Amino acid sequence: MNRQIRQLALGLISCYIVLFVALNYWQVGQEEELNGNIENTRAVRREFERPRGPIISADGVVVARSLEVASTAGPDDDTVERRRTYPTGDLFSSATGYFTLNFGSTQVEREYGDVLTGQTTEQQVRALGDLLSNEVDNSGTVQLTMRNDLQGVAQFLLGDRTGSVVVTEVATGAIRAMYSNPTYDPNTFIDLPFEEAQDAIVALQDAPGDPLLSGAYQQRFMPGSTFKVITTGIGLEAGVIDPTTEFVRESQWVPPQTTDPIQNYRGSVCGGALPEVFRRSCNIPFAQTAVNLGPDAMVAGTEDWGIGEEVPIDLPRPAASTFGDADGLDQRLPLLAIRGFGQNDDQMVPLHMALVAGTVANGGRMMTPYVVDSTYDNDGRLLDRTEPSVWKRPVSERNAALLTELMTGVTEGEGGTARSVQLNGGVRFAAKTGTAELGIIGDPDRVHAWMIAFAPLEAPQYAISVVLTDLTSTVADAQTGGRVAGPVVRGMLDYLLTGNGANVVLGGPR
Amino acid sequence: MTDTLESDLEPRRPSRNERRSAAPLAYQRRNAELTLVVMAAAITALAYTIASLGTNAEIPAGFFGFVALLLALLLVAHIAVRKLAVGADSTLLPLAALLHGIGFVMITRLDDGLASLQALWSVVGVGAFVATLVVVQRASDLARFRWVLFFGGAGALLLPLVPGLGSQINGARIWVSLGPINFQPGEFAKVALAVFFAAYFADNRLLIAAKTWKVGPLHLPEPRFILPVAVAWGFAVVVMVGQRDLGSSLLFFTLFVVMIWVATERAGWLALGVMLFAAAAYFAWTQFGHVQTRVDIWLDPWADSLGDGYQIVQSLFAFADGGITGTGIGRGFPNQVPEAQNDFIFAAIGEELGLLGATAIIMSYLLIVGAGLRTALRTEREFEKLLAVGLTTIIGVQAFIIMAGVIKLVPLTGITLPFVSYGGSSLVSNYILLALLIRVSDSAARRVGEVPDQPTPGERWSAWMLRRQMKRDQRRMGADS
Repeated sequence: MNRQIRQLALGLISCYIVLFVALNYWQVGQEEELNGNIENTRAVRREFERPRGPIISADGVVVARSLEVASTAGPDDDTVERRRTYPTGDLFSSATGYFTLNFGSTQVEREYGDVLTGQTTEQQVRALGDLLSNEVDNSGTVQLTMRNDLQGVAQFLLGDRTGSVVVTEVATGAIRAMYSNPTYDPNTFIDLPFEEAQDAIVALQDAPGDPLLSGAYQQRFMPGSTFKVITTGIGLEAGVIDPTTEFVRESQWVPPQTTDPIQNYRGSVCGGALPEVFRRSCNIPFAQTAVNLGPDAMVAGTEDWGIGEEVPIDLPRPAASTFGDADGLDQRLPLLAIRGFGQNDDQMVPLHMALVAGTVANGGRMMTPYVVDSTYDNDGRLLDRTEPSVWKRPVSERNAALLTELMTGVTEGEGGTARSVQLNGGVRFAAKTGTAELGIIGDPDRVHAWMIAFAPLEAPQYAISVVLTDLTSTVADAQTGGRVAGPVVRGMLDYLLTGNGANVVLGGPR
Repeated sequence: MTDTLESDLEPRRPSRNERRSAAPLAYQRRNAELTLVVMAAAITALAYTIASLGTNAEIPAGFFGFVALLLALLLVAHIAVRKLAVGADSTLLPLAALLHGIGFVMITRLDDGLASLQALWSVVGVGAFVATLVVVQRASDLARFRWVLFFGGAGALLLPLVPGLGSQINGARIWVSLGPINFQPGEFAKVALAVFFAAYFADNRLLIAAKTWKVGPLHLPEPRFILPVAVAWGFAVVVMVGQRDLGSSLLFFTLFVVMIWVATERAGWLALGVMLFAAAAYFAWTQFGHVQTRVDIWLDPWADSLGDGYQIVQSLFAFADGGITGTGIGRGFPNQVPEAQNDFIFAAIGEELGLLGATAIIMSYLLIVGAGLRTALRTEREFEKLLAVGLTTIIGVQAFIIMAGVIKLVPLTGITLPFVSYGGSSLVSNYILLALLIRVSDSAARRVGEVPDQPTPGERWSAWMLRRQMKRDQRRMGADS
């Protein structure tokens, strides 16, 4: 029998060796794949059980924080549950996003989750002694560049209209305001039971205007005449046009390869020198400029302005502006012509348009936009501060100055489309308006009304982009950029430069 | 003449030092065992502390009570072995203590509410361990009760089917409810039937191996020799399949095949066993929905990862989460796996102790298997050999079935992880099994002369009774004369 017993021993040992190999397969070989599996909620739960620090606006208002409440699991359960709450409701949701156990997290809550929960290497090292326990609060703080007061003003000025307001700091690219309608209030579903929360989120996903996607940086809209700043910039850089260039006064022009004429806004006669056609926002001169540049130079020029790339904001899933399909444009010059003044397939992200205004104001340097100013550890010590950086240099300083002159004409020159928009205290500013005709068949009056601007003119501080989308514009009630977006721009800049907002002190956390 | 008889029956009981010097090897083993047991206790106490630190950053409130109880239990078990089975293998008890300790810590960590009950069962388990050593003083005693054990075991298996007594939990009707106590009599039946098989095969192994019955070209064992054991085995398998306890059926089937193979020394039994198993498995797969489900989720748990496959998928997540070093006790989410304290406790260990901890568990079972089979090799008696083989196979195969099931190596069949899983029946029956293995090991040591064979208390009691009888007889004879 001893031989059989030895064989049995060998057999059982073999079984256990196979077991050990299988264990290695799952715990080492498949570790990453399983840990990254979408159904594996362990990572989120681990994050959820950690203390999570606040997100604070530039002017010191807490816009997201965690409350500790007694567990609802039962009377014997003395564990603490953490609830995320957003004291400012829908005002900052497009930047903070939300943080849930079952439905993941978005925006700053997602990108800065490791800072908020104290999991960055630096925080871990600083709290080395407390590594052993989950309970020690090592949470960090994220301070935004966005201001609570400006968000409120933007929300008030938009009212119940859909659209976006973006204000950036010219010198740095820091986003001081970024608000869009429709938006959402994360508090409305963050504490709901699983099923109800799921219903609420699905309803938001299906709602018109995609409230869960920020209209300011995650969506893009036809830019209309605001795009002429870009076309002009490309033309100036290429030497195709200069301020003395004269354009024929005409009401329509037939581009090459077609018999279909291009018209100015509402068929008006428009022409003259560059400053005049720019401030009056004629269409034909910019169509001609685009055609003169040719498809290759025009497409390359838009790429210099960052079009075709995702806007490099420090938040997840930003949209990319587009100049439309560039293939075979040399056989489709009429499209190139139309795109030259911001129609057809041109689509711009509202934030990107604020950067365009900022580029002109900033001597041709397009700054990288950001919403996170700095991060702090649990003791309030600085962890990291965002260093401003240049994203693009689409135009020279000289051409930026020329563009500034052209845009100043829009607010100050005779017939300027934003002439009616004047700031308090005589603060001078430069702007460009736009009214994008969506050209929807059966609904020809649908427009987006735009205005981009920067102020003060002499020493630009802020660049702004305002868009009001899906308006119905008729002859009797023209919803142009100047008439509709202008007051919003004025309201924001007045508040910022001469109103209560001028004295707000931006400070550290807490 | 009476003098010689007197001195034969009443040898002077040797002093403590004499006993020690007569069996140096045995006492070395006991001292090694004591060291290892204390180490197992230390590891358990450390794990208990870390678990508490990991979950709420505090030294556990009842820490000293816990350590005192732990040490007391293990010392009682150790002293029992020292007094009652001094020659036994030195690793069996410490390995069981380590598995039991880690299991207890994990159960406490998974569900505070189970801790006190499991502690109670631990006391009962160690009590059963000591009682078994006291009652079974000689391994051969057991062989005499083979039929009692057979009918006891069979009866125990049938108990859950008795209306009003049995109850169905998680789809398997293997529970008996007596008042507040639920237990699985099948756990005990397993041990009883292993003893029965060992005794029966020890007597009849040559007759079965002879294959004197010729059916056409086939040479088969005489029906009358194989019949009782075949009936016993078939009965048990049918009952367990009827109770939907696939894990136990598989374990029982393997046990039987292994024992008949070792007893007869004919590998043909293994082949026959594998064929029978394949046929039975195929039959079950075609006939029973729950068997099909088990196979389906084994092949592809991801297909229904929120339904039937949920448990195994979560188990794999747990293992992956642990990685090589584990999350640390109290810092993982083992409760994500349903039944983590029972069948899936290996997943909890894999998550919080990592590949290293899980490997330590695997090694512990492997060492128990090694010690058990070494015992089987050392002893000369066929009954003891087969008993050691049977008991070792139960532990080794049962641990393998559930660990391999939890990591999707074989289809999952619900069965407890010996000494580690939550549950009284499992713990108590495994301690009885361990005591029997230690008893066989001790008998083997006595037989090879490592320990001078002393009469057992039972034998001394019989001798005392006999002497008294003789004195009475002598007096009567004296009175007569």
